[in-house]
Amino acid sequence: MQNLRQQFKLAFENFWRGLRQWSGDSAYETYLACAERQRSQKPLSATEFYVDQLNRKYSRPNRCC
Amino acid sequence: MAERETVKRLLQILIWTAVAALGAVALGTIAFHRGEPINATWFVLAAACSYLLAYRLYSAFIAARLLALDNTRATPAERRDDGRDFVPTNKWVLFGHHFAAIAGPGPLVGPTLAAQFGYLPGTLWLIAGAAFAGCVQDFVILFCSIRRDGKTLGEMARDEVSKRGGLIAQLAVLTIMIILLAVVALVVVNALKSSPWATFTLAMTIPIALLLGVYLRYFRPGRVLEASLLGVALVLFVVVAGQWVADSPYLAKVFTLGGVTLAFAIIAYGFAASALPVWLLLAPRDYLSAFIKAGAIFSLAAGILLVRPQVLMPPLTRFVDGSGPVFAGKIFPFCFITIACGAISGFHSLISSGTTPKMIQREGHARFIGYGAMLLESFVGVMAMVAACAMTPGVYFAINSPASIVGATPEAAAATISGWGYPLTGGTMTSLAHAVGEQTLLNRAGGAPSLAVGMAQIFSSTIGGDRLLSIWYHFAIMFEALFILTVLDAGTRVGRFMIQELGGRVWKPMGRMNWMPGIVLSSALIVGAWGYFLYQGVVDPLGGINSLWPLFGIANQLLAAVALVVATTILLKMAKLKWIWVTLLPMAWLVIITMTASFEKIFSANTRIGFLSQANSMAAQLAAGNVATAKIADTQRLIFNLRLDAAVTAILAAMILVLLVEALAQWFAILSRRKQPVMQETPYVATQWAEAD
Repeated sequence: MQNLRQQFKLAFENFWRGLRQWSGDSAYETYLACAERQRSQKPLSATEFYVDQLNRKYSRPNRCC
Repeated sequence: MAERETVKRLLQILIWTAVAALGAVALGTIAFHRGEPINATWFVLAAACSYLLAYRLYSAFIAARLLALDNTRATPAERRDDGRDFVPTNKWVLFGHHFAAIAGPGPLVGPTLAAQFGYLPGTLWLIAGAAFAGCVQDFVILFCSIRRDGKTLGEMARDEVSKRGGLIAQLAVLTIMIILLAVVALVVVNALKSSPWATFTLAMTIPIALLLGVYLRYFRPGRVLEASLLGVALVLFVVVAGQWVADSPYLAKVFTLGGVTLAFAIIAYGFAASALPVWLLLAPRDYLSAFIKAGAIFSLAAGILLVRPQVLMPPLTRFVDGSGPVFAGKIFPFCFITIACGAISGFHSLISSGTTPKMIQREGHARFIGYGAMLLESFVGVMAMVAACAMTPGVYFAINSPASIVGATPEAAAATISGWGYPLTGGTMTSLAHAVGEQTLLNRAGGAPSLAVGMAQIFSSTIGGDRLLSIWYHFAIMFEALFILTVLDAGTRVGRFMIQELGGRVWKPMGRMNWMPGIVLSSALIVGAWGYFLYQGVVDPLGGINSLWPLFGIANQLLAAVALVVATTILLKMAKLKWIWVTLLPMAWLVIITMTASFEKIFSANTRIGFLSQANSMAAQLAAGNVATAKIADTQRLIFNLRLDAAVTAILAAMILVLLVEALAQWFAILSRRKQPVMQETPYVATQWAEAD
């Protein structure tokens, strides 16, 4: 029973992580982790990153007919 | 151990043989069934089994023999990981991203329109077209782009075919964008015309999107899930509230708009969405649309499986002869032009060479994402076909035919359509309109209202019965219109960038993306271009869809042909001559249908098909003095528009011919060894990640 509960919890966590990635909810966390690894320059703030990401996304075809 | 392997292998063979047999029986049933209605379950089985087999066998063959996908090779996402554009992404998440990007209104509207031929031609084209053409295009272009650091289709055409090829690809993208935006806007206009409930609901999504935009920008930056949840709840509330508006004499009057007014409102919206900051209106609307799209498509699939409706449309209608009321033209080539998305869509190649190749973790994932996501889109198309064909054929034709063909009153439409052999009474249309909360459902060409009726009937059979039919209908209209507007605003903005980029070559300041006069001018130009075609469609006496949808289909298939020319050229350079038919055959098919459809649309003597013959016929009536004085200006404008449509079609056909000549010269040079093939692939770099999956 406990095993089943753990499996269910794991499946839900995976689903939640996937949903956050798919929707863009965790994009800033991904960016921060990358910036941390590379340490090339000061990372953008959450707001700066959000606006920058949208400007990039919507400057090329990203929705089909 | 070896025995276990043998049993496993035998079991696999047995399972796949069973899938093949079931698929063959289901396909045979829908192909040869005559007389009585057929259950929709056969469609689901035929499609699902065909897709499973195509994925298991054909995509595996392409992955192994043609492309030789290499999981030891680092992808652009690994080599250039920057947390912004190049982001290694889980394959299931990327599948969701890619599917959300490629699945627009096309696979819903195209099959609905093509249902006028009966369910069979469209269904077979959806299944076979996806397996052998659409999925191949998406998969191969994704692979080519991964091997070139995520280059776009235009860049690959320039590098691998010729400079002129690159320019043609760019021009094709801009042209298709203009026609696409006009035609999808026309679908929305026809769905909202004279419907205060639907107009109110859609209008309210603008303040909701603005609210979300401000929330996401200033209060909780980037917290998309919570904002979308709030937005979806508000949108569902306004769908219900729309009924109160429709019941209020004053508010109903305010939100009851004609076609021309709606067209100008949508043009103004497109301009605002393009010129305003992207975080304010465009992005939050896109978030709303993505969630509602996923929910509605899932619900439609579940509804069809639960309700298992009877398909009432015959396999073939009398309109296979080209005299169809929805659009004129025979099955060949017009069925293959009408259903683009769902079978093969050139626009997908822009997505496959856009964001996806920059996010893919391993080359091996390209098969699942490129080929698999397109199979799923094709399945959406089959479900739309089922929803359209599940309604009485008479009702389908009454909703989708223009008034100039069937008449403007329920009685007149019923008499005409019954005369075609599809029984209908005026009372049926009146009571159906009443049941879905509309004043009328007649003459709503465009596919959206008939699809909404089909969806509402399926949903209400699952939840709520007839009592909720009107709510389900308006939910379906809102869902279609919402994600059409998302295509419209995102497309307008991309078109604006393209014009600024092209303008920047002539006059430098125009190329500065944050220069306000440049933004306003380029937004006005792109909106003016598609707005002109939209207006032309709205005032067209044949309903607009008859001329604009084939034009869109030709443009979209032209872009697919461009993508397959690029893919074939790259495969030749990779010395894959033995397997070149994988891309060459669908390319040849697309060139044949694009050229035939273009020729017929320009030169056909049938005035309902040929732009020039219709223009000449009108000009002759004008010259003979048979046109009322009040209508002379309108007629002159229609003649000009028809000649413009003919010119646009000719330009599209000329573009593909020029590209073909360029590619043939390149292929001949490679095959005759006059030229050493130069590939623009990025050099091999071994992956640093552990081998997994």
